[in-house]
Amino acid sequence: MGAVLVVLEQRDGMLKRVSLEALAAGRVVADAEGSEVHALLMGPPGVSTEALGRHGADKVLAAATPDLALYQPDAFATIAANQVSTGNYDIIVLGATAMGRDLAPRIAAKLGAPLAPDVTSLTANDELVVTRPVYSGKAVFTLRVVKRPCVISVRPNVFSPTDAAKPGAVEGISADGVVAARATTVKVKEPEKAVLDVAEASIVVSGGRGLKGPENFHLIEELAEVLGGAPGASRAVVDAGWRPHSEQVGQTGKTVSPSLYVAVGISGAIQHLAGMRTSKVIVAINKDKDAPIFKLADYGIVGDLFEIVPRLIAELQKIRGN
Amino acid sequence: MIPAKAQPPLPRDKLILSEPPGDERIEMDVLFVGGGPAGLAGAIELSGLVKAANEAGDGPGQISIGVLEKAGSLGEHCLSGAVVNPRPFRTLFPDLDDSDFPFQQPVTREAVYFLTPKRAIRVPTPPPMRNEGNYVASICEIVRWLGERAQAMGVDVFPGFPASALLVNGNRVIGVRTAPSGLDRDGNPMSNHMPAADVVAKVTALAEGTRGMLSQAFFEWQQIPSANPQIYALAVKELWETKRPVDAVIHTLGWPLPGGAFGGSFFYPLEDRVAAVGLVVGLDHPYRSLDVHVLLQRMKTHPLFAQYLQGGEMTEWGAKTIPEGGFYAVPQRRHGDGVVVLGDSAGFVDVPSLKGIHYAMESGIAAARAIFTALTANDTSAHMLAAYDRSIDASYVMKDLYRRRNMRLAFKDGLVMGGIKAGLMTITGGRFPGGKISMVSDAAVARSSDGAVPFTPDGTLTFSKVDAVFKSGNATRDTIPSHLITGGDVPGELAAYYASVCPAGVYEVVDGKLRVNPPNCVDCKATDVVGPRWTPREGGSGPAYKRM
Amino acid sequence: MKIAVCVKRVPDTESRIKIAGDGKSIDEAGVKFVLNPYDEFAVEAALQLKEQHGGEVVVVALGTDASQETVRTALAMGADRGVLLKSNASSLDSLGAARLLAAELEAGEYDLLLFGKLAIDDYNHAVGPMVATLLNLPCVSSIAHLEISGASGTAEREIEGGVEVVEFSLPAVLTTDKGLNEPRYPALRGIMMAKKKPLEVKEVTVEPGGLEIIELSVPAERTGGRIVGEGPDAVPALIEALRNEAKVI
Repeated sequence: MGAVLVVLEQRDGMLKRVSLEALAAGRVVADAEGSEVHALLMGPPGVSTEALGRHGADKVLAAATPDLALYQPDAFATIAANQVSTGNYDIIVLGATAMGRDLAPRIAAKLGAPLAPDVTSLTANDELVVTRPVYSGKAVFTLRVVKRPCVISVRPNVFSPTDAAKPGAVEGISADGVVAARATTVKVKEPEKAVLDVAEASIVVSGGRGLKGPENFHLIEELAEVLGGAPGASRAVVDAGWRPHSEQVGQTGKTVSPSLYVAVGISGAIQHLAGMRTSKVIVAINKDKDAPIFKLADYGIVGDLFEIVPRLIAELQKIRGN
Repeated sequence: MIPAKAQPPLPRDKLILSEPPGDERIEMDVLFVGGGPAGLAGAIELSGLVKAANEAGDGPGQISIGVLEKAGSLGEHCLSGAVVNPRPFRTLFPDLDDSDFPFQQPVTREAVYFLTPKRAIRVPTPPPMRNEGNYVASICEIVRWLGERAQAMGVDVFPGFPASALLVNGNRVIGVRTAPSGLDRDGNPMSNHMPAADVVAKVTALAEGTRGMLSQAFFEWQQIPSANPQIYALAVKELWETKRPVDAVIHTLGWPLPGGAFGGSFFYPLEDRVAAVGLVVGLDHPYRSLDVHVLLQRMKTHPLFAQYLQGGEMTEWGAKTIPEGGFYAVPQRRHGDGVVVLGDSAGFVDVPSLKGIHYAMESGIAAARAIFTALTANDTSAHMLAAYDRSIDASYVMKDLYRRRNMRLAFKDGLVMGGIKAGLMTITGGRFPGGKISMVSDAAVARSSDGAVPFTPDGTLTFSKVDAVFKSGNATRDTIPSHLITGGDVPGELAAYYASVCPAGVYEVVDGKLRVNPPNCVDCKATDVVGPRWTPREGGSGPAYKRM
Repeated sequence: MKIAVCVKRVPDTESRIKIAGDGKSIDEAGVKFVLNPYDEFAVEAALQLKEQHGGEVVVVALGTDASQETVRTALAMGADRGVLLKSNASSLDSLGAARLLAAELEAGEYDLLLFGKLAIDDYNHAVGPMVATLLNLPCVSSIAHLEISGASGTAEREIEGGVEVVEFSLPAVLTTDKGLNEPRYPALRGIMMAKKKPLEVKEVTVEPGGLEIIELSVPAERTGGRIVGEGPDAVPALIEALRNEAKVI
């Protein structure tokens, strides 16, 4: 069996967590097939690779040059595909991030390999089987990999980094001659904090009619801020003119799937639930214990939001202070 | 409280425009306004007549036929029970067999029950309600099927384009103006704004369905009376994947309707485990708080329904009004210079048999024949189009309506007396009591009692209005300008009445004041009958029914 | 400027998904199909570029015969002509689709090939970059901002916590994201004209890819979690659960 090549992702010289998640997914395949996991790092010199061995990399292949500090699609695809072609690799794993979603199909096309994107589970016993959500998360494909090499991207926050300690020795590989490209990433702009959109935020705090009036939405804004998230709103309060339509979550507003969704004073009409039900973790704060939102929520607090939310903000600020 | 006193008038100045059409106008020979059974049957019949005549060498040549539909896709605004009489399908498609038509299954068993809160008492099926030879069907599927046929015959079908006004020249209807798209809440154009377009045609056939705005405006403008004002019922319907098969077409009377309301339920099996359940209630009741949506929710908790629905899943929800006035509410003239009015817009519904689809199609066919003759003679004046009215008046459409002309009207005095009178009418073929039972419009009926019953939906068998609207597929852009005319300052009591009439939660009372949520609207037109006026809005707004 | 826009016919996002009898596909009965919403951004971008620079917009679809309607929608928006690569089977194999599209697009001498960033049925995010790779063209995916000047352009794509600014030369492949523009509605006149615009249908054969469907299933409904407590005193327990159990803060 060929080895597993895990393509890592770094930003500003720091490995991203999803790299360790991809390593864990790669480890599952390698362990089942008795092969090795090689981690491919493309980036500037000086990225710390120390954690990789600890999290399951048998070997680290580093193409380190200042030209690769930013994601350069042509160069990254060429280096990765060359590595697969010159080595003996069966499976290529990436994180399904903005970079991974761009890079994975390029590598697959260069190799003539099938691509299984946004995988949410992976089993590798006699055969390699992956699952991936389709149709806006309303259905899930279970797929068998019948051709190798195969490129897989794993959805972030699904796989947990593994503690399998491996040698993780670093070996430099060449990045010469591949950087000249006709599409060049020239810079990464910081997003303006003010425009953190409810549809893109990884944490969303939404308020509903329970807030009683627009003057109380500062609670939602403060809770969103201390969590580093974006404020959202139910259709009822948007229709009432308490909040702008851009914040509306729901079937006729924005569909969100953040890692954490906090619903404050929202009873949970189906049209609202349709817009946030794919959130990873849902918290509901509502005075009505029979509110439909509690049927969906992972964690709920029943009670007066005007007492609960200030306390929550205070406690979270304390944690932040530490 | 009399709703009519506070009802804004029909905005006729916006619905009838005597300005010349714009330079960018689109020209057609015949334009059907509304892609339902009436408009599509008419378009199909007309294109067939044109084709046959052209092939025989004496045709009018190339005739462009268009159908404007306000829903985003054909069928998405259509809702009916429905048990369908296949007669016009056989007329339209003589080469096809009943099994080729988009019906689900023939009616084999049927039952009528009188409900008390806990019991269901089987009663004999009144003769007009017998459905032997009819089929259970989804009007959405019928309309999509007719649409495919029409397009295959060269008809241009345009979903997503509501007609917002009649273009007229003197007494002649010369076409319509469509509703613009891409306006923000304040009516300002957005980057994807699409202005209104003028469509001119030699004949405009108004097939808008129940409570058509342009049809109302036409009758008012031309001062065309009917013997009685039109009256309406509101139907709220749900589609269910049932826990076990429903094996008969079921109708019920009685509970949970209060004594002063006329109505009943239907429960129709579409497939082994798919059934439609609905409740129809006349809007001429005396209650301020009667809420058809809530009544349907309560009705489903009755053992007769719950045994099938409990543990199943509600997959669609919708609502629509039904013109119930029958024979005496049909306008005396359904044509004018360059215009005819078809189907529900003309009031061709027979309440005793709970049917309208086949009459709508029949009216489309009759209109198509008159239009064809008019086009061939190159004269589309009222004189030529009057052939349409003569044809309908002589057909089974008006004969059926005449025979049962007073049956629905008898129930204005309550269920028991109404039942006795209706029975006598059946026995005597409509001769008893003879004459005409006079009616007032629904809005003119005083709401003298309350009639509220508190109810909390459980989210599995019974649902709130917000959840219901979601299940209607309504994904109307929240930022469109309001299409509803509420008129002045609405006092709390009236606001509460609107809130109970509207099945979709468009109207709410907040702090004693009326709040309007226009995107919720599913175009049922109930409040247009008794309160705030509905006007056409951006194409594709409203519900998106799939199998209603 | 000659621009190709690749479009796909997909089930509407509001559609209720039911699994077909084979357990491997969706039951299409009653499902409404639409032009993939992300492809609408691509069509709109192409039309705006044509309005600025002149040229031609060609719509290319791969799919069954029903996709003609999807192509017509794009033509109604204002594209000039359409090509349907007609296949009898649909396939989830993105590389197979990319190969068929690349073969069609290769000889077209296009300045730009536009795609939606993903199709809302298979969520592959793949065909655009794959076509670019197969045709050896520069590619920027998931763009939310675009400027073209002469033979080069600048695009911006959103990444986690930032925006990448990418410069590229033409000809190029771009895949479009929400935020790039507001797609226009097809006008009545546009729809009428679209019926008369050329739509070429070419038969193609979809080969099975390297992934075999075992099953398509509906994910289990979310089951409710737990009430951690009542009132403000429950706050520490909630924070504890979010930090150590759910690990989201």
